[in-house]
Amino acid sequence: MLSRSLVLRLCAAAPLAFALAACSSNASTASSSAAQAPAGNAVKIGIDLPLSGADSSVGRSTLNGMLLAIEQANAKGLPGGVTLQPDQLDDAVQGVHSPQQGVANARTFISDDGVLVMLGPYNSNVAAAQIPVTNAAGLAQISASTVSDGLTLGDDAKNLRRANPTTNTFFRVSTTDSRQGAAAARFARQLGKKTVYIIDDNETYGLDLANVFEKDFTQLGGTVIGHDHIDKGTQDFKALLTKIAATKPDLIFYGGTTSTGAGLIRQQMFDEGLGNTAFMGGDGIPDIATVAGPRADGTYYTVAAPNADKLLSARQFVRDYEARFHEPIGPYSANAYAATQVAIAAIAAATKENGGKVPTRAQVLAQIAKTNALSTPIGPVGFDAGGDVLEPVVSLYTIKNGQPVFISQQSVSK
Amino acid sequence: MHEFLAQLVNGISLGGIYALIAIGYTMVYGIAELINFAHGDVYTLGTFVALAIFGALGISGELHGIALVVDSGLALIGAAVCCGLIGMAMERLAYRRLRNAPRLAPLITAIGVSFILQNLMQLWKGSAPIPFPAVLPNPRFDLGPVSITAQQIAVVALAVAAMFALQIVVTRTRTGAAMRAVAQDRQAASLMGVDVDRTIAITFLIAGLLAGVGGFVSGVYYQSTWFLNGFSAGLKAFTAAVLGGIGNIAGAMLGGFLIGIIESFATWLIGGQWSNVTVFAILILVLVLKPSGLLGERVPEKV
Amino acid sequence: MVYAIAAIVIAFAVAIDRVRTKRTKLLLLAGLAVLLAVAPRLGGSDASVNALVDIGIYVVLALGLNVVVGFAGLLDLGYAAFFAIGAYTYAMLASPQFGLHLPFWVLLFLAAALASLFGIVLGAPTLRLRGDYLAIVTLGFGEIVPQVFQNLTKYTGGPNGIGALDVPTFFGIPFGQSALPYYYVTLAAIALTLLLTNNLRASRLGRAWMAIREDQLAAAHAGIDTTRSKLAAFALGASFSGFAGVIFAAKLSLVSPDLFQFQVSVLVVSMLVLGGMGNIPGVVVGAVLLGLLNGTVLPQLDTIATDVLHVHADLTQASFLIYGVILVGLMLFRPEGLLPDRERRAEMHAAPNEVV
Repeated sequence: MLSRSLVLRLCAAAPLAFALAACSSNASTASSSAAQAPAGNAVKIGIDLPLSGADSSVGRSTLNGMLLAIEQANAKGLPGGVTLQPDQLDDAVQGVHSPQQGVANARTFISDDGVLVMLGPYNSNVAAAQIPVTNAAGLAQISASTVSDGLTLGDDAKNLRRANPTTNTFFRVSTTDSRQGAAAARFARQLGKKTVYIIDDNETYGLDLANVFEKDFTQLGGTVIGHDHIDKGTQDFKALLTKIAATKPDLIFYGGTTSTGAGLIRQQMFDEGLGNTAFMGGDGIPDIATVAGPRADGTYYTVAAPNADKLLSARQFVRDYEARFHEPIGPYSANAYAATQVAIAAIAAATKENGGKVPTRAQVLAQIAKTNALSTPIGPVGFDAGGDVLEPVVSLYTIKNGQPVFISQQSVSK
Repeated sequence: MHEFLAQLVNGISLGGIYALIAIGYTMVYGIAELINFAHGDVYTLGTFVALAIFGALGISGELHGIALVVDSGLALIGAAVCCGLIGMAMERLAYRRLRNAPRLAPLITAIGVSFILQNLMQLWKGSAPIPFPAVLPNPRFDLGPVSITAQQIAVVALAVAAMFALQIVVTRTRTGAAMRAVAQDRQAASLMGVDVDRTIAITFLIAGLLAGVGGFVSGVYYQSTWFLNGFSAGLKAFTAAVLGGIGNIAGAMLGGFLIGIIESFATWLIGGQWSNVTVFAILILVLVLKPSGLLGERVPEKV
Repeated sequence: MVYAIAAIVIAFAVAIDRVRTKRTKLLLLAGLAVLLAVAPRLGGSDASVNALVDIGIYVVLALGLNVVVGFAGLLDLGYAAFFAIGAYTYAMLASPQFGLHLPFWVLLFLAAALASLFGIVLGAPTLRLRGDYLAIVTLGFGEIVPQVFQNLTKYTGGPNGIGALDVPTFFGIPFGQSALPYYYVTLAAIALTLLLTNNLRASRLGRAWMAIREDQLAAAHAGIDTTRSKLAAFALGASFSGFAGVIFAAKLSLVSPDLFQFQVSVLVVSMLVLGGMGNIPGVVVGAVLLGLLNGTVLPQLDTIATDVLHVHADLTQASFLIYGVILVGLMLFRPEGLLPDRERRAEMHAAPNEVV
């Protein structure tokens, strides 16, 4: 009978497959060649970002910033003849960024001896799941975009590092929500705004930013008329804006990104008679003109970096990026480039220290923690003990004729 | 009172778009007994096609006079026809072979088709929101305490017109008679000489046409779209179809308007983050009290 | 190793499905259990063990949903809600969130009980609904639950979720950061789920479900309490999901609303349909295949493109497309699933218009 012979064949196949599994046990993860230490002096840089689904465009432009830095470093050459090899994994499952997949990817990097440092993730809650794992394994991790305070500050951060409390493995070049929200509140008051209506996208980044803004704006003597959250995937903001129009605020502050609603809200403000009301957000909305078009004019936004016009490295970066990828930079491309520069500088320094041989993860980690005033497109980068940027600066921009115009900057520390 | 009316207007115009999608859901369900999960994505595709047509015509600003009628007509018809054909193609390639398969098999293919469409649109335009040119003028009319824009009126008028046109097709034409026959009993209809394949294909064509119209309207009205737009809108439209009584065209329209109004009022009175929760909670409540939807007939379980 | 173990599990599941005698089935199952128990000892990185745990959790979910959809024929599109309830139970009662630190082992069963309670709460008023109306109600419930968790920021951490959950202990020995302890817990959970669902299937209740699935009216006339039986299916199915949620949350040490979206419910339903609804070995095959595809193959597409196919392409960008084509292709090719249920198959062909 057919089924009987099939069973026999399958039973014979099973132990065979098993033997295969045992032999190739460590070749199982990323790829066939992934787990063996790379040939020669190759060093792998693990990258974890959302590369498919809803976040794929920002994920891709963040990845491109990283790849550009790696390509440039390889072209220039590193000490000890080390070559860098990016290894990117997608942390989106079914189109949604997933902490679960982020951890699976981090473990893949940890299990691969060739990976000395990891870049990413993009989302704060993915980081919150990864940190305990990378902390226990001693793998350094540099994020370009995560903003949640709890990743680096206070008891939350301590809890994430409980496996290895004396070691910090998580660094980020992006600023915290509390720093940016506080700076935005000061800017708003400096612009003479007395009353504000706050909207946020009810996501990690937007909600926290909006909450800090609300607290600080009130402390600085401003009045918060209302604070609303929106649902994911909302396209129609007319009901919300009708409600806001009745309260006549000086300013509408939006915690969130262009994709989660900033562009549509700015656009629909005009339909509800709020076209002349000021609109402001954080570093999630510099690309607002891609959605709101000419109506983006007059939008204010903050960016956690010094004036980009004054930074040579920033202009050079934009030119290089556009020449390499034939598209404008994404909201976190410059951050991603900076984070990668940190990783590369640390690998180079650790290699030197190790007598020109490929260093260990611990050596790279030690060098990253020591990073100080490294020149990047987002200004000089160094880290405090918690993994946050030293002497951070936040700048305020507005959009005129579709172009960003610098207004002022302030240094923030908390 | 003023704000109440303003929110009512917001809700009704939002509901008009849901209604256009919901009618397609309900027709396909009524006739082919398939929850076409990809229908929301067909709607998004309509916006993308209209956008591409405007792009090809080199239009980026407001249209006037003859150009207004010709160019926007081209984009509207292009989007509708394209979506209608995609709907038919989907039926032919992915669903027809599964007509006698276990009930859930076509549901899974529908989800698969939805993923395929979403990804194709993402590869086409990226995953970020994309702007849609403000092509149609949008004068505002003040009617006493509220003001209504021309586009809001157009959205509602289109939805109502689509419903009446379909009612006429279904009740007055031969094709409509065939549709009703297939909906009632596919086997018997086929024995009576109804071309079941053709009837179901036409149903998908009509549903696709309406989704395309909806996609065009949504692009013009919101001046933006993105590849996952159809997910949330499709879910709400599906909810609307069930709320109205699935299989019932007037019910789908009523459900669409109701969902739009509930959403606007929830945003106004409870807070935007609760609008989805409110919509689904009311849906559950209605179904518990009236298990076959607002306008649905009580159909005994088929055995 | 992930691929090899998945292949072994599938091979055994197919074999168990094909053999007729109970003794051979049990022998094969025992052999598989032994193989899986020793598998991580024969090498295999932490990452691959972790990937296997993720797949294993899907297996428990799929087997649990199989009780509702496969056995009782009730289409549930909001199964992730119960998974979320289980995971948040652990997160709120074993973390710094409220300073409560209940033991993992207690919470496993508490969460299962709580999830089944919610199953009853949802089921009781809605079970008299016709098939597809029930589907949309469960879908709505599945949308509401994660949204409520996201909105009640004070209690649930909102969109950030709750992190730094307690690390479980086993007789005082902490699990640590390795995935290995979770592997054995998941293995035990699968064994328990298999045992329970298999016994349920053959029980009086299981036969009642089958009767309801085939013909509710006739079942009611034959003296079966249809409402009670359906409620039991809902409650039991939900309890497995709650149970799996605790293991999931403890391993990840984090819960957040985006882990329990509609997509998860759809994924688990796809596992059932793809594997073969109602048929336990089939469901296992479906869960392993789609779990492997989503957790291991698709996230590594870029690496696979360069290392295996030797092309430089952004395959990841097309991962949805690939997934969609696989779903459609498999369904067109095997509409009844890879390993269809024999009894069910007979029904299907007898009544093509049957309403699930």
